[in-house]
Amino acid sequence: MLSSIFLKTLRDRRRSLLFWGICFVLLAVMVVSLYPLIESYSAIQDYMELLPEEVMALFTGGIDDFTSPEGYLHSELFFLVFPLLILVFAINFGSSAVAGEEEQGTLDLLLSNPIPRWRLVLEKFTALVFSIMLLTLLFWGALAISGHAVDMGLNLSRLGAICFSAALLGVTFGAAALAVGCARGRRGLSMSAAGALVGYSYLLNAMAPLIDWLEPFQVLSPFYYYIGAVPLINGLNGTHAAVLAGLTAVFLAAAIATFWKRDLAV
Amino acid sequence: MNNDTVIHTSGLTKYYGKQRGMVDISLDVRRGEVFGYLGPNGAGKTTTIRTLLNLIRPTRGIATIFGMDIQRKGLEVRRHTGYLPGELKLYDNLTGAEMLRYLGHLSGGVDWAHVEALASRLDCDLLLPIRSLSHGNRQKIGLIQAFMNTPDLLILDEPTIGLDPLMQQEFYRLVSETKAQGRTVFLSSHIMPEVERVCDRVAIIREGRLVTVEDIDNLKARAIRRLEIHFAGPVSQEEFTEISGVKDVRVHDSVLTCTVVGELDALVKAASQARVVNIISHEPSLEEIFLDYYNEEESVAE
Repeated sequence: MLSSIFLKTLRDRRRSLLFWGICFVLLAVMVVSLYPLIESYSAIQDYMELLPEEVMALFTGGIDDFTSPEGYLHSELFFLVFPLLILVFAINFGSSAVAGEEEQGTLDLLLSNPIPRWRLVLEKFTALVFSIMLLTLLFWGALAISGHAVDMGLNLSRLGAICFSAALLGVTFGAAALAVGCARGRRGLSMSAAGALVGYSYLLNAMAPLIDWLEPFQVLSPFYYYIGAVPLINGLNGTHAAVLAGLTAVFLAAAIATFWKRDLAV
Repeated sequence: MNNDTVIHTSGLTKYYGKQRGMVDISLDVRRGEVFGYLGPNGAGKTTTIRTLLNLIRPTRGIATIFGMDIQRKGLEVRRHTGYLPGELKLYDNLTGAEMLRYLGHLSGGVDWAHVEALASRLDCDLLLPIRSLSHGNRQKIGLIQAFMNTPDLLILDEPTIGLDPLMQQEFYRLVSETKAQGRTVFLSSHIMPEVERVCDRVAIIREGRLVTVEDIDNLKARAIRRLEIHFAGPVSQEEFTEISGVKDVRVHDSVLTCTVVGELDALVKAASQARVVNIISHEPSLEEIFLDYYNEEESVAE
């Protein structure tokens, strides 16, 4: 586990990965096991319709069918809770990746080896992508199995599409955090910058459909490319996925470019 | 610059914003020598060293190592260079062995038998988690990782800090062996005796600027020491005032204090006329060496 920066980074994260893995499995099982209750209790649909449109938009993505398996999972899990958790993990990972090592002071020793700086950034990024994909795969598996147990009849490839989109969103913001960390070498700064970006992006995507003047700007939010096309019902939207991948590439390039020539802190 | 030049810098300058790190450092380090980089804390030693490793970029000036530009060929330079950081930080969650294996992989493979040989010489237990190690033991791991790839050049920033005297001796032996193998050592220090002990040549740096580069023998010749000689009975001041190289002679009852430049021979012989109880030598501080250096510069100028 110590033969490359990639593996060492995963090794350092092994407890965190275990913790998050357990969290995601529990979350999946919990949410899915509540579904039979919701399905049989049709009053909930009536109740939800009483809520103000704004509240609905903000927390559930404005979907109007809560009792179907897809509608339920989309609004209760994938609109807010799951991406938020994945983003907490991704941003924490991204900001620690390079800036964390710089603050600890171990970067001097690491980069005094014959290792180009771009390779350090790339290996840390690969570890980020791998970890997020691993957790998302686990979440997908937990949903699939528990969904089968309560006869939800989920389409597994569409479930995979939304999970994959969420992973892409995580990678995008993780790369943003990595870029800020690479540019400035400060973990805290990187976390708050990426966190603020998440906040604005989420609100922009959630509120835009309600506010006329804001609507054209919805396409500026990465969240829109994650869930705007409702992958759980419609399958993966290739264009939207490509936008997130492109954005990630931009952040990664910025990370390498800013880190390339910079003085490292002692 | 010729083939025997390992490190070459010319006008190497680094400013952190407006704050100076180093100014116009020009020096050459030759193959197979132990080169000391002497200066008080904050003089800019670490700045020079981190620039050579391409961890920070110079504001202006050039530097080559093995004839290769440190920025454009930094990767190739680091392939042949072992480095001990001044503020050594290790991975607390690993053991010494794990840390060294990791660094070994990153540098393209390491001869583990050599690592173990170094560890036993330095009396360092590699199986302990780094978080439980004392400062001195961490420093040993830092030294092992610098030496373990038998690099052609070692750049060591304050290598003996935190080492107990026995380990310092072992380190000096390590340096001598490295030199005997024709490899080059560049080490920084703020302690004059250490530099005298191991180095062939010394660059003295102060407030970011190079004061002088000298053979250690020259430096020793002009080294000043404050001596205190305790005699069995009272002595007279006159007997000592005329000795060359001896200044500031003061006798109080049976105790003589004076400043000596260079060799002690004449003074010791004069003192041996009476019965000597004790000789106490105060090593000069770096500041005193600088003062001496500047005074002489001025007297030459006059």
